[in-house]
Amino acid sequence: MSPINALVVFYSRRGKSESMALAAGVGAIQARANIRLRRLADLAGPEAIKTDAAWSENVERMNKDYIAPREIDAQWADVLILAAPPDRTEEMERYLDSAKAAIQGKTGAVLGTFTSKAVAAGLAVVQPAEATADAAAATAYGRRAVETARAAKAGAAGG
Amino acid sequence: MITVRRSAERGHFDRGWINTYHTFSFGSYSDEAHNGFRALRVLNDDRIAPGKGFGAHGHRDMEIFTYVLEGGLAHNDSTGERHVLRPNEIQAMSAGTGVIHSEFNASQTEPVHLLQIWIQPAAEDVPPRYQQFAYDPSEKQNRLRLLVGPDRNPPEPAAFIHQDARAYASVLAPGKTLEQPIAPGRHAWVHCASGNIIVNGYTLQEGDAVAMSGERAAMLAGCGPSGGELLLIDLA
Repeated sequence: MSPINALVVFYSRRGKSESMALAAGVGAIQARANIRLRRLADLAGPEAIKTDAAWSENVERMNKDYIAPREIDAQWADVLILAAPPDRTEEMERYLDSAKAAIQGKTGAVLGTFTSKAVAAGLAVVQPAEATADAAAATAYGRRAVETARAAKAGAAGG
Repeated sequence: MITVRRSAERGHFDRGWINTYHTFSFGSYSDEAHNGFRALRVLNDDRIAPGKGFGAHGHRDMEIFTYVLEGGLAHNDSTGERHVLRPNEIQAMSAGTGVIHSEFNASQTEPVHLLQIWIQPAAEDVPPRYQQFAYDPSEKQNRLRLLVGPDRNPPEPAAFIHQDARAYASVLAPGKTLEQPIAPGRHAWVHCASGNIIVNGYTLQEGDAVAMSGERAAMLAGCGPSGGELLLIDLA
């Protein structure tokens, strides 16, 4: 079984998209991928974050638990598992724009409403993507994404 | 046969936020001669600065237990478990099919000193599981207190692990002795967690350890000015 590197990138304010990203990350581990977990930084400033207690509290914790994605993370990855809230995709869209060169042609999994942006950035998005808030479905999707990446890698090596 | 593994021979990294010693190969420390002992795969001796720790990361198919010597370690994981682990508590996690967790020093002012032990499981793909419980410190005073093992009904409350291995803790006062039989065909790893102990005639100080194979018993004694604290891991 060839080793697969899965990069989980998410944007979350109050923890819901983080939970979905973690659930999908667990699926990636179940499929025996190596994983890295990264949170996108808020575009909003500290003053805006302070106005929302749940956001503020979660940001403090998440900033300890995760670093922001680096270029070498995208280069390392065979598959990207991406999650963002349905009503807040700007951070993810900016990430996809900035990481385009490193993620071109790689397998992608989209938990959210930005599939077309992910495709435009060059990711081969595993379908059907999961817009659901169901953790079990996210885990299954993470697993499927790694299996797809593994098959693609094996095909490329064999072809 | 008894083989001594001295503290200073371990892999050592002081990264500012963590001062860590690796008894066995781990991360960027690789030593072919010390890749583990029987099912014992990792024994890390970590001092983590206030507020610092290990960000979210994944594990699969590993039995991981943590023994805090000083301070508190905050644990969060993808199964929703959120706890602070302190001395005289045992925490064990079966990573099984997959777990994501983070571990941070729970204090903003005091360091945390801990031992983290990884044991290769006998079975893969088990459901992830987290256990944590406290015990009275007197339970390890001059006796071996079982921490983890494969028994569904252990003789005293202990965490279950998916491997034929049992880990015990003990705090031995100077001059106090214990004899722990080692069954034929079994092996033992004794790690001096703090202070000074003697194991089958070998004097150990903090961070030293012995690997025992083909021995009938571990003869343990506290020594030095204040004795010592140890972990003994009995392995198939």
